[in-house]
Amino acid sequence: MVNLTIDDKQVTAPKNATIYEAAKANGIKIPILCHDKKLKPFGACRMCLVEVEQMKGRQIPACTTPATEGMIIRTSTPEIVKARKMVLELLLLNHPIDCPVCDKGGDCDLQNLTYEYKVDANRFVDEKFHLDIDYANPLIERDMNRCVLCGKCARICDEIVSFGAYTFINRGIETKMGCEFDEALNCEFCGSCVSVCPVGSLLARPFKFKARWWALTKQKSVCSYCGTGCNLTLGVKDNKVLTTVYDENQGFHNGQLCCRGRFGYQFINSDKRLTAPLVRKNGVLVETGWDEALEIVVGRLKGGIAVAALATPRMTNEELVLFKRLMETVGSPNYDHSAGYAHAALTKGFARSFGTSASPSTILDIQKSDLLLVIKTDAYETHPVVGFEINLAVKNRGVKLNLLSDKRGKLSKLPGAKTLVHTPGSEIAVINAIAKSILDAKLADGSAVAVPGYADLEQALAGFTPEAVAAQSGLSAAQIKELAADYAQAEKALIIFPIGLAYAGHDSEFASAVANLAILTGKLGREGCGVLCMAEKNNSQGAVDMGFYAPLGGMDAGRIIDGCASGAVKTLFIAGENPAVSYPDHARVQAALYKVECLIVSDLFLTETAAQADVVLPACSFAEKEGTFTSVDRRVQYFKPAIRKIGQSRSDFEIFAALIARLGGQAPASPAAAFAEITAATPAYTGMSYASLGEQGAFAAVTVKPALIAPQAPAPAGAPGKLALVVGSALYHNGTMSQHGEGPMYVCPEGYVELSRGDAARLGIADNDLLTVASATGSVKLKAKVSLRMPEGVLFTPYHFGATPVNQVWSGAAVTWVTLDK
Amino acid sequence: MSDAVAQQAAEQEPVVDLSLAHKIIDKYIDMPGNLMPVLQAAQDEYGYIPRVVADLIAERLNVYPSQIYGVLTFYAQFHLKPRGRFIIRVCVGTACHVQGAPRIVETFFDKLGIGHAETTPDLRFTFEKVACLGACGMAPLAMVNDATYGSMTVQKVEEIITDYNQRPLK
Repeated sequence: MVNLTIDDKQVTAPKNATIYEAAKANGIKIPILCHDKKLKPFGACRMCLVEVEQMKGRQIPACTTPATEGMIIRTSTPEIVKARKMVLELLLLNHPIDCPVCDKGGDCDLQNLTYEYKVDANRFVDEKFHLDIDYANPLIERDMNRCVLCGKCARICDEIVSFGAYTFINRGIETKMGCEFDEALNCEFCGSCVSVCPVGSLLARPFKFKARWWALTKQKSVCSYCGTGCNLTLGVKDNKVLTTVYDENQGFHNGQLCCRGRFGYQFINSDKRLTAPLVRKNGVLVETGWDEALEIVVGRLKGGIAVAALATPRMTNEELVLFKRLMETVGSPNYDHSAGYAHAALTKGFARSFGTSASPSTILDIQKSDLLLVIKTDAYETHPVVGFEINLAVKNRGVKLNLLSDKRGKLSKLPGAKTLVHTPGSEIAVINAIAKSILDAKLADGSAVAVPGYADLEQALAGFTPEAVAAQSGLSAAQIKELAADYAQAEKALIIFPIGLAYAGHDSEFASAVANLAILTGKLGREGCGVLCMAEKNNSQGAVDMGFYAPLGGMDAGRIIDGCASGAVKTLFIAGENPAVSYPDHARVQAALYKVECLIVSDLFLTETAAQADVVLPACSFAEKEGTFTSVDRRVQYFKPAIRKIGQSRSDFEIFAALIARLGGQAPASPAAAFAEITAATPAYTGMSYASLGEQGAFAAVTVKPALIAPQAPAPAGAPGKLALVVGSALYHNGTMSQHGEGPMYVCPEGYVELSRGDAARLGIADNDLLTVASATGSVKLKAKVSLRMPEGVLFTPYHFGATPVNQVWSGAAVTWVTLDK
Repeated sequence: MSDAVAQQAAEQEPVVDLSLAHKIIDKYIDMPGNLMPVLQAAQDEYGYIPRVVADLIAERLNVYPSQIYGVLTFYAQFHLKPRGRFIIRVCVGTACHVQGAPRIVETFFDKLGIGHAETTPDLRFTFEKVACLGACGMAPLAMVNDATYGSMTVQKVEEIITDYNQRPLK
């Protein structure tokens, strides 16, 4: 700590603080335009000038100057105020004063500072710029006439997003912010640049002319797409969520969001939302009242024989618990989520390896680690804000990055990143070989021998010598050994991998194989160490914590689907899932949905699944209800409604509570009461309440009891003349809900099949060619995307799109062997 | 060549042999801070930085394409359009101005049919006005590539153009 004097006030500040940070921490406001707490100091705007007595009263920028012992600083002498006023006069020289039509009005740093410093006249005169405004994309408008050249857009795009869309073009008075060759913006459209722009140069187009800043009600919430658990602020007017508002003080991510978080909210007020219950009459779904719809459902559920339920892990913890209670009330043990396998890494893998169905590590460990081992570069696509954390760790903190993946990706481009590209489906064998190398090279931690299962594992790994695995994985033995040594010798190391519907290969065996590495090397239970399993949906971890998966004696999702087809299941209640698109094997799912006697669906939209239902219940979005979500790193977060419910829609909580009541059961009166029951019944949640969660949320406790498990690796497969198709997530899509978000649908509007340049040349395929992808299961037509990142012989396709259902060719295998035809 | 065809030829980026750029990148790939030397060598090779070369450098050096464009536009030494075989520079600094540089410039414009910082469609000449060439005693001054021509006159402009029109393009 250093002691200094700011404006005659004795203050202390951390050793590495700048004058600006020292002042801010002590409640003294220094104006800034180009500074952002998430970015490296830049010192471009000269708004933060202060006087330091020891520097002979010279005016120096507070944002770049370190605070040192004994400094005597004055932040607002008449001279400084004069200097700041001139900075503003000079900025306003070229800035168009079009505030009445600028969406930034009210939230504009330049406007606010001009007001604060009373710059009501300008001593200088110059021409305004007349640069073309970039309207080329529907998400981000770029009006460089308003730019003050703070460089924040270029810096955030480089430092955090690591895309690098912007640069300073030209020099001197002609300088402007732009993209390569001064072209229109063409990037990932995460909108980070929009969030930090201090003026109206970068604006969110979906919000353009929708509302003035001061007319918005700002409601804090939690993002309902992926499991990262990002905090959001929703901008609401007239019961519509019109935008997301940037708040740099929100969440571990400092308000940083991805495209779907920032530009994907349109599903909330979509005109495609269901507004009334529907029942099938004479083969057609017709609107009805809740009474009739609920009576039909109760009639089907009563007795509980041959009843099954599938739920989306997008629902709140309270709703999942209530849905489970509903199934218990009707006496059916048949319920599950995420096709039954997408959570197995947690519910089976971690359950036996760590003695808990949760990740031992948190997202906060990423920046505290020395080495990250990321399995599948898709981690950036599935959880982009975690991807930003990885970027920050590697670029700012020098954390080493090792990637083990079946394709390259954006993370492979980070400085010093080592990417090992293995053949699809060989990941468990490779991880076993890494474990074997660790044992052979005597790099295992001393504690490992005492862990249960050590001897069995040692024996089971005998067949996984790096040399033996090298042949089937496409890697060299030396590469495997090097990765093993890098990982084992790092002081702190963290393993990260995604799970989800599209990542069938990341199953319980895979999870145990990964867990073994951490247990063998003692990289557990310490800061910056461990394993982070990133589940797909916003409340995937919650669904596991609430136990919403097949109990002993109950059918899992796969058996429920088959049971529908065979007649063993006669009533299927699907809450929020869209198996017709998202579950593997389209034909199998369709057979089930077609055969089942009664299909009940509650959803926001008439999805491909809901369209086939006998009763459709209009559910409401996260913005219309309260409850808790649990993120991939066990952070339990509470959120409140931001708007009133759309139409007659009800929260799933209300739907399940009404059904339980009609069935003669007891349901908690409110989500708060349900949460109280959860905290009483779930040890990890003990002591939590809505009040205690506050805005920060709280981490569910985790107790790790490590055990070494010998994981089974699938036999190496191959099919001569065929290509290996791997399914996954497209950037900024998540499940099938992101199809209703404007942002994700602009960045990636439709399904595609990605292939290497080599395969494209060999097969005579060019970008956007319409290809028929055929497997043993079926075929689907997809546009070609030729890319640098794919290895030869491997294809990638995202699974989110109802218009081109990939599950017509994909039956849930980690690797599907297909042919490509034009 | 009709004007329209010539115009089109000048606007179309000529076919670029990327193997030359690959060789340059190979030479510097492991050197820290290699962007400037690579760009300079590429400009020496091609006479300017073609878009495809900038993209290739971005891809192989793992530098953002935007960043390369920022560097290219920051430094006056880089050019983004094909340049003529012969670069004519005429000084318009104070001494040359007083000695009649504007007339020299006008004559070049007139005879070459191009303006400042432009290139003839046959890629023979590029013309540039420059602030000072550092030889004020020889004002008004012109340079063609590395050759210096002092005490310029309208007559000399014609001689220079005739002379360089006869030289081979390659």
